[in-house]
Amino acid sequence: MNDNHFGSIFRRRIIYVVIVGFFALCVIQLFNMQILQQPVYSEKSDENSVKPIYQLAPRGIFFDRNHKVLVGNKPSFTLRITPSNYDTKLTPYIEAILGMSPGYIDRILKANEAYSKFIPRKIARDVSFKVIAWYEENSSKLPGVDYVMETQRDYSFGIGGSHMFGYTKEIPLGTYQKRKSEYDIGDEIGFNGIEKTYEDYLRGEKGINYLLVDSRQKTIGRYMDGGEDQQAVKGADLILSIDKEAQRVAEEAFKDKRGAVVALDPTNGEVLAFLSAPEYNLEDFAKVTSNEVWRELNTNPDKPMFNRASMSTFAPGSTFKMISAIAALEEGIIDTNSKINCAGGYQFGDRYFKCLHVHGSVDVEASIEKSCNTFYYSLVNKLGLDLWSKYSKKFGFGAKTKIDIPEESGGIVPSTEYYNRVYGKNGWTRGFVISLGIGQGELNVTPLQLAQYASLFANFGKSAHPHFLKSYVDTKTKEKYDVKPQYFDIGISKKSFDIIRRAMYLVVQGAGTATNIRLPDIAIAGKTGTAQNPHGKEHSIFVGFAPYDNPKIAIAVIVENAGFGSTAAAPIARDVIKAYLKKDKKEEPKNLEVSQLAEGANNAH
Amino acid sequence: MHINYKLQDKFDFSIFIPAVGLIIFGLLAIYSSTANHPTASGNFQKQLVFVLISLVVFIITFSLPLQTFKKFSIALYGISIFFLIAVLLVGKTVYGAKSWFGIGGFGFQPSELAKLGTILMLSYWLTYRSRDINNLKDIGVALAIGILPVILIMLEPDMGTSIVFLIITISLIFWSGISLFGLFVVLSPGVVAIVSIMGTYAFIIALLFVVAALFFFKKDLFNSLTVFVINLSSGFFFDYVYKILKPHQQNRIASFLDPMADPLGAGYNALQAKVAIGSGGFLGKGFLHGNQTQLRFIPQQWTDFIYCVIGEEFGFIGSLLVISLFLIIFLRLFKLSAIAKDSFSVLVTIGVLTLMFSHFAINIGMNLGITPVIGLPLPFLSYGGSTQLMNMVMLGIVLNIYKNRKLHT
Repeated sequence: MNDNHFGSIFRRRIIYVVIVGFFALCVIQLFNMQILQQPVYSEKSDENSVKPIYQLAPRGIFFDRNHKVLVGNKPSFTLRITPSNYDTKLTPYIEAILGMSPGYIDRILKANEAYSKFIPRKIARDVSFKVIAWYEENSSKLPGVDYVMETQRDYSFGIGGSHMFGYTKEIPLGTYQKRKSEYDIGDEIGFNGIEKTYEDYLRGEKGINYLLVDSRQKTIGRYMDGGEDQQAVKGADLILSIDKEAQRVAEEAFKDKRGAVVALDPTNGEVLAFLSAPEYNLEDFAKVTSNEVWRELNTNPDKPMFNRASMSTFAPGSTFKMISAIAALEEGIIDTNSKINCAGGYQFGDRYFKCLHVHGSVDVEASIEKSCNTFYYSLVNKLGLDLWSKYSKKFGFGAKTKIDIPEESGGIVPSTEYYNRVYGKNGWTRGFVISLGIGQGELNVTPLQLAQYASLFANFGKSAHPHFLKSYVDTKTKEKYDVKPQYFDIGISKKSFDIIRRAMYLVVQGAGTATNIRLPDIAIAGKTGTAQNPHGKEHSIFVGFAPYDNPKIAIAVIVENAGFGSTAAAPIARDVIKAYLKKDKKEEPKNLEVSQLAEGANNAH
Repeated sequence: MHINYKLQDKFDFSIFIPAVGLIIFGLLAIYSSTANHPTASGNFQKQLVFVLISLVVFIITFSLPLQTFKKFSIALYGISIFFLIAVLLVGKTVYGAKSWFGIGGFGFQPSELAKLGTILMLSYWLTYRSRDINNLKDIGVALAIGILPVILIMLEPDMGTSIVFLIITISLIFWSGISLFGLFVVLSPGVVAIVSIMGTYAFIIALLFVVAALFFFKKDLFNSLTVFVINLSSGFFFDYVYKILKPHQQNRIASFLDPMADPLGAGYNALQAKVAIGSGGFLGKGFLHGNQTQLRFIPQQWTDFIYCVIGEEFGFIGSLLVISLFLIIFLRLFKLSAIAKDSFSVLVTIGVLTLMFSHFAINIGMNLGITPVIGLPLPFLSYGGSTQLMNMVMLGIVLNIYKNRKLHT
């Protein structure tokens, strides 16, 4: 066969076809890859080597109603450890330079084990410049350790406000998994208080710097010389309704006491002061919170983490007498002429309910002014549980006030249905109801509810849901947006309010239980109360408003274990009222241009 | 013109100049991929020295009398086999394979020498006076000459190089005029072996094809049975070999099937090489401006993945130019195989062509994602002294054959 010899034409052709054929295949593949699919590969190549570095946005700043800074920002250094590169032999040195006890770093690394080991862990925030200098000198010997400059909350503006402001912390794993598109691991998120409610305003937009990295993720330079970078946008600043001076006075007064103060603008529900004492130090949460701090806060018998102002519930005592009075007036059960004789107590069935004094003949006005119990034992008996409970609820008790922080309790207003549920249909008697008349028994209210209650007397049953946020300033547009209060009217006649308000006026200005807080230039109206406390000395309570003719502030103060309302709570209420109104007279809120406000915000970083 | 003609008559510029072009491309690519590299930044200078040494060796081999190669073929093959055995005993392990001798600062790969030794030995044996390539015994000896280095190199283990030896052996036997049946006997065990990794059913189907082919050739029962048994056992043998392969080699085979499945593992290089070439586009990103290359996304890029440096930085134009230069060399060698003065020279030329083409095809195929990731250098371009030296020696030999094509002895 001609084909089967050395180097035959047939064999030559096969070799030729293989060579040229493979060449053609290569050309086709090159054309396909470099011309047709070039965009796809280019994108992959960029993804490979361009690494986005996120810049945290500074959070929005809190201003008070007069545009004074309440909470600002400051730059701080955060030391981080990336476990994938980290050598645990370094731990003792780093702990020593940070002044942390042994085991500190180990605990943080253990707590974050669920995250990828390539993600840096924040070991300590707000580390001193000395530590950073030490790091810079030794960085080559500290693999997996680095630091970033962040902004951190600055609380050095003279007030605490821990329970209303709240704090931020690293996003918990559960929250992160729900909001993956918005947050990255290690981001700060508002954890409670205003920081939590207005998280979406406050957090701003992260900036992105695009870096060129090599295959070992080592930075080589900036991508497109920074042309594609995006600046971080600071979060919106919040203008809160808080009056810094009133808040400061309240905090001062509660330095060594436990209790709460809530002051509202009765006309629109703006919170003027909000204090739960004792406070905790927000600074402790601005850093990575050490276990020691946590343990101390959680085991402290004074429970500093507990937001008393909107979460603690107690029986409001005599401050609640106005409920029965106004209900009876509205329902026509009594009028201003209705009188009762107080012989020092009230006999109901086989039980005798005591009054503090022998008041003699008492009308509704005197019953509030002098705080006569006998009048109310009798009155609530006439009123009946259901009406009493209906009016209690009208004034906002037994339900949350919808204030704009997440920490709030609704309290309890007993009703027929409530007693039936708790004691069974026949397990309770009308005797249960008698003590409700003087605000004792199973009635549970919060200081915030009492402040709202005072507002409603101050403003004839009209007010708005309590809220902290007056307005916010959009960082990009510098535009100020006002928050519209949510108004409501509980629908009680002016006539009834006039009677009760007059009586509350006399409590301070007449011959009542709180004449000790009378001021020469400000007419305060109010009501004292003493809450029975099964665990110790009674709580001292005061609710009130001022000025009487044109109320601008309504307030509730509770001082735990301090006895009578007139002695402990009322003077604090007076001081806060004075601080707010005096200043209010002197300097009207500065009419700052919004742009100036933004300037101020920048300076307050 | 007259002088040029005379010079071209003695020296084939159309092989030499493309080769020099490729060497220059190689030096550029090595410079680009190692210039800022922490450990390989000296490679450009080293390669420059290799190139100069290999030019000297090229001139020597070009100037030697042509008969020298025939005369020394047995000795060279013997030395090659000796070194291949020696390297298994005292060699240095580089990238998981025991394929290097360390001599002073330089390393030497005996398998490179064995390429020349095997080509010369096979050419010598296959063209020896009264050889009948369709005689089973003669086929057997030719196969033995080729397979011996294949097995020794597999033991290093260096899969890529042993595949090249296998291809050279088959190519030279094929060229010598083996019958279809003979070729079937040589090739079928290999095909069956490769099919056997795909599973038992594939293996059985392949064996059925073998049986069908045997009926077609109508050979006697003894021959047919022998061939069948060889096929059967090769399947089992290869399956056994696959299992004793190093995990990184098994991974390489697996990663070819789906390079995206394990982007940071064995398929990583193949994927990054494709990304580098594809993102180069029409004109490329420019010399020293390929981010895949400059940011070192392809490890050891200056050796087996040198082509993607060119693909990325010089684009479609550069990539096409490089493979065109190769095509010129291959077609020129192909033509030389027709005009060489004797059958020994023809087979040596075919051997060199096969060697360079198989390196080219496997390497470029790997870079373009057409073939599996098998580590083989790209002739003239990849960094490496032994390879550069042997390529230039072979270039010297084929140009020597060209020079002597008209002489009759």
